[in-house]
Amino acid sequence: MATTSSQSSTPVIAVDHASSRAWRNQRARKLFIYTTLTIFGLFFAFPLFWTVSSSLQTWQELRSYTPHLLPEVPQWSNYADVFRLVPFARWVLNSFTIVFITIPGTIFTATMTAYAFARFNFFGKNIWFILLLSTMMIPAIVTFIPQYLLFFNLKLIDTYVPLTIGAWLGGGAFMIFLLRQFIMSIPRDLDEAATIDGAGPFRILWSVLVPLMKPALTTVAILQFLTDWNDFFGPFIYLNTMTRYTAAVGLRTFQNMALETTDPRDHLLMAGAAIMTIPVLVLFAVAQRYFVSGVVLSGLKV
Amino acid sequence: MTGATSVVKARTGRRTFASQRRQNLYGYLFMLPWLLGFFGLFIGPGLYSFYLSFTKYDVLSPPEFIGFRNYVNMVTNDDLFWPSLGRTAYYTLLSVPLSVIGSMFLAILLNSKLRGVTIYRTLFFMPSLVPLVASVLLFKWLLNSDFGIVNQGLRGIGVERPPGWFSDSQWAIPSLVLLRLWGAIGGTQMIIFLAGLQGVPTELYDAAAIDGANAWQSTRHVTIPMLTPTIFFNTVLGIIGAMQTFAAAFVATEGGPGFATWFFALHIWKQAFDYFNMGYGAALAWVLAILIVILTLIQIRLSKRLVFYYGE
Repeated sequence: MATTSSQSSTPVIAVDHASSRAWRNQRARKLFIYTTLTIFGLFFAFPLFWTVSSSLQTWQELRSYTPHLLPEVPQWSNYADVFRLVPFARWVLNSFTIVFITIPGTIFTATMTAYAFARFNFFGKNIWFILLLSTMMIPAIVTFIPQYLLFFNLKLIDTYVPLTIGAWLGGGAFMIFLLRQFIMSIPRDLDEAATIDGAGPFRILWSVLVPLMKPALTTVAILQFLTDWNDFFGPFIYLNTMTRYTAAVGLRTFQNMALETTDPRDHLLMAGAAIMTIPVLVLFAVAQRYFVSGVVLSGLKV
Repeated sequence: MTGATSVVKARTGRRTFASQRRQNLYGYLFMLPWLLGFFGLFIGPGLYSFYLSFTKYDVLSPPEFIGFRNYVNMVTNDDLFWPSLGRTAYYTLLSVPLSVIGSMFLAILLNSKLRGVTIYRTLFFMPSLVPLVASVLLFKWLLNSDFGIVNQGLRGIGVERPPGWFSDSQWAIPSLVLLRLWGAIGGTQMIIFLAGLQGVPTELYDAAAIDGANAWQSTRHVTIPMLTPTIFFNTVLGIIGAMQTFAAAFVATEGGPGFATWFFALHIWKQAFDYFNMGYGAALAWVLAILIVILTLIQIRLSKRLVFYYGE
């Protein structure tokens, strides 16, 4: 149909036809993309909405025959109840304590290691680098049992040492790799200029490189925060005393621990889930771009 | 003349020697913290765990060497070994392909540079920010068989007997998969796909358009082949992660109902940290590690045939 019309009419009109069809295709494509994104968006958003909404309802409301999408009267007291019924404030504080220990550890020791790999040609460097990368591929469970026995014999069970020492001993291969990539992208001329000015390696790292590494170091700090904030297995295995629990382990315990009330506690668990998520969301709001820059920084050639 | 050059040579030789010593000194000095960690927390424990896997060790009395008995026992005498391996495989086979395809699909849509897509990108990313334990409790509540909003909705639209989700042994693993998809599709995996899409040269799309390819055809014949390295990367990482799943299954169902979500990692945990069969636990951990390494190597092998690297 389109071809016959373009044959019978002048070329100008033919072009017009074609472009209007392209325009219609373009519109159909847009419509398809927006519709699909919106449907998926609702699936992704609804659970988040439901956490907040459930956390503000009474348990009777949540278990009524016709569910309420929104609370009749927002029950802000649910949040107060969480802090009253279980030591949730303590658990959140403990998670923050761990993060405050691990973040500086990773920043210091991963930067140092990355600097060694990026700037020095020491003996055996390539072999060490391969060994470094290989630690990323071996599942943590293999080393977990002996590590547990080690800390058990050192009487460090139920302390934060097993959960934080790794951060002070290099902070993990991925962090080191990421920072190494970043340092390698900084021109060596800067180091050399500083050397001529009489700066030694420590001074170069501290005064020349570290100031330039702020974006990478922020990314590392955020990744470390997310790792420890989310971690369940480590704190679950190593911590025994309830007041030493982290938010993740505490929230899980809250699920089935004996309380002064035997009423259903879904609304309280949702409040707890929301409380645990808020610090991550706040961090995301203020440092959004660093959440995704790890992918870019690692120079992942994919 | 020759004397002069040799003096210069000797000098530079000495200087490079001195500077090599400097390189060694500072190189090892700066990586010292990592080296301590590497030996103290990785190599040492790794070797010790290998040794333990040939022993019977209950922490109270010293390890007793029993040869291959742990390994023989697990395949002949352990009722949960094969089932837990099977459940782990089932979960992996269900969750990894769906999440990788989902991430790729969303990334392609988001890459269309339409107005407002950044809002969608943020929206899709949000679930990956929810801490795992929080998201497990959330899904347990959403999918609560009696009062959960999902089943209330299903009953509302006329489904008389909606699934029991986490409380039904048939549905427990699919429920964990749903939880995983919600948390993973829009997260790092999607960001990696978006980064991969940035690397697709626009001239390929121009060429496809000149050949008369429509949107689907250029996606099928340009985008997806160009994304095969990213698909490969995300699949490898996805499988490594899924094989080690512990927290989601443990927090949601503690491996139940009726061992339906008794994954391999739960089995290791139970043996090592609940029964204190450290030797047997170590053997199980090594089996999992070796399986993961083998699977990764197979994928690398397959990738040589299936992955397309542009410009090679």
